[in-house]
Amino acid sequence: MKFKIFSAIIIAKAMTFLLRLSGSGGTSLPGKAAMAVKADLLSYLSKDVRTILITGTNGKTTTARIISEILRKSGKTYFENKSGANLISGITAAFALNSTSFGKIKSEFAVIECDEAAFKTVGKHINASIVVVTNLFRDQLDRYGEITHALNSIIDGIRSSPNAALILNSDDSLSYSIKGLVPNRTYLFGINSPPYGLDADFISDAPYCIKCKSRYEYDFRTYAHLGGFRCPGCGYRRESPDYSADEISLGSSFSEALFSLKGDSIRAKVAIPGAYNIYNALAAAAAAGELGLRPELIIDGISTFRSGFGRMEVLDLEGISIHMILVKNPAGLNQVINFLANDPVRKILVMILNDRHADGTDISWIWDANFEKISAAADIFPRIILSGTRAVELLLRFKYAGLDTAAIKTTGSYQDVISEAMGQNTERLPVYILPTYTAMFDFRKALSRKYKIKKFWK
Amino acid sequence: MDELRICHLYPDLLNLYGDRGNICALRNRLEWRGIRAIVSEVPSGTAFSASGHDIVFIGGGQDFEQEVLLNDLSGEKTRLIKEAVESGVVFLAICGGYQLLGTHYTTHEGLQYDFTGIMDIHTIGDKKRMIGDYMFDMDNGGKPLRIAGFENHSGKTYLGEGIRPLGKIIRGFGNNGADGTEGARYRNVFCSYSHGPLLPKNPSLCDILLETALKRRYGDYSLSKLDDSIEQRASELIVKRLS
Ligand SMILES: [Zn+2]
Repeated sequence: MKFKIFSAIIIAKAMTFLLRLSGSGGTSLPGKAAMAVKADLLSYLSKDVRTILITGTNGKTTTARIISEILRKSGKTYFENKSGANLISGITAAFALNSTSFGKIKSEFAVIECDEAAFKTVGKHINASIVVVTNLFRDQLDRYGEITHALNSIIDGIRSSPNAALILNSDDSLSYSIKGLVPNRTYLFGINSPPYGLDADFISDAPYCIKCKSRYEYDFRTYAHLGGFRCPGCGYRRESPDYSADEISLGSSFSEALFSLKGDSIRAKVAIPGAYNIYNALAAAAAAGELGLRPELIIDGISTFRSGFGRMEVLDLEGISIHMILVKNPAGLNQVINFLANDPVRKILVMILNDRHADGTDISWIWDANFEKISAAADIFPRIILSGTRAVELLLRFKYAGLDTAAIKTTGSYQDVISEAMGQNTERLPVYILPTYTAMFDFRKALSRKYKIKKFWK
Repeated sequence: MDELRICHLYPDLLNLYGDRGNICALRNRLEWRGIRAIVSEVPSGTAFSASGHDIVFIGGGQDFEQEVLLNDLSGEKTRLIKEAVESGVVFLAICGGYQLLGTHYTTHEGLQYDFTGIMDIHTIGDKKRMIGDYMFDMDNGGKPLRIAGFENHSGKTYLGEGIRPLGKIIRGFGNNGADGTEGARYRNVFCSYSHGPLLPKNPSLCDILLETALKRRYGDYSLSKLDDSIEQRASELIVKRLS
């Protein structure tokens, strides 16, 4: 028994070491190998560490990183799983790598983001202290088929953590519906007044009541189906959140809001821009609050948190600021488009659309994103560059959004993207890169090769 | 100025990924030719006019909302949609929208839902989803039109007497993965499993729909040519991958 645990951990550690030597950062293989030796390794390793599980469609990585930042500021020890390594194999590997060879975890906390479809499986192994559900949107229908599939996976996964504090989004009628279906004590986060300038887009993933299928009415909307929903049929409605934001003002590099953390009101900055990141900050604040961390430290973490892996990360290369924002579904992309089109700074826009398995092979969702907004603000987008395996489909989308396709550069080569965006950027305009999942990794490789950056991600 | 009235039927229920792209193509390809496009939305709970539209688009949906849809159709809406179909209004119906024009849907557990019965087709649910890029040759008066798309459905559809398929499967599953047919044709109704941006990527099909509707409204009509080089490149990428 002990020997199996020992071997499984050693295998995971050795394989990770070898993979790193060969220049690959993958953690899925070591996790799989360790599980082949001991299938429930994760149960064993996680039993003595306070685990915060973060799931949901959008904002998992950013929320996890803000929680880590608050833990760091509070002087706590913790480890995280790598962004994207959020299935059972990657999560098992993260625990193995942060354990001694005899299965003792050295940190007090584990901050773990978990894919919503994998939550059912991962949740079984972990008796978490906190479970955060950021939100639920339709995402990659080729994997799930139905949005309720993800919801049921999350509910199943929570059942092994009956003592965990459950953190839910009060503005999201889908994930908020989990309250009451599980015995957990539940705390809510939400935005009380819609951020100025943020016009609700038309796409709603959930126009009909999840309980009785009447059409929701809204007191206000923040974006997509999020907001002050109420059902005229059965009375299901948004509840006032425990952790909330009001009086929001959005800027091009940060936002400000009046935060209320279970009654403590503090005006503060969120150091990453975009209204959707206010939700991520609130989700993190709620998790940290329920861990018993002090409001000043929570606010300090939110105000100084900078980057997530590919999520609104800023690099400075030869005096040009490069922003990379992962896009994967229309709800998320619309938020990014809102941010880019409302910020009056002229910018170079790069979008990279791949349709590999990890990106989702169905790219139809780009037709639901509101590129017409970019077209309406065309003068602040003097150069647009499109790339990826489905660059031509993007070009077609931009054409039907009303953009002048003759002025758009389409190329399959990342070197060409870099020289168009950087080399010919004499005005040093900021560059915004919107990649899908695999494109994010590939493009970072191309950037680091070109600029001889050894390792610019943790 | 000539015009066409385009109706997006059930945009609140039947709006799976990319369905909006078809409305976008219909509108743009009219406007680029100086023809006015009047787009209206008819969500559930609002009245449908049998004579108020030249083209009706119905997209695909999730199972969760099917009940809402069936309730809404149980009123006089089914009769009005049927009246529009029989009077020659152009319809483009995709996936769930296609299925609901048929007589019924039987789930894989054997539960039967009755649909509108406007066309003699029916669908049987399966556990296995038929997903992926696919292509078919659409029957187009002798010269087949190659259509590239993306299918994602678990229902298998079978055509009754008097219903022609929209085309013949070249790669992929189509109606049921067995008989080599894809989609359906009846009066001026065009049905397909190609969800997402079918029309932007297949502009000839879009123009067939527009021309059919314009002829019905204005008599003899021929559309001017547009530069479709980007559309062709997007479509050819899929054709090449599947070949
Ligand atoms: Zn209700």
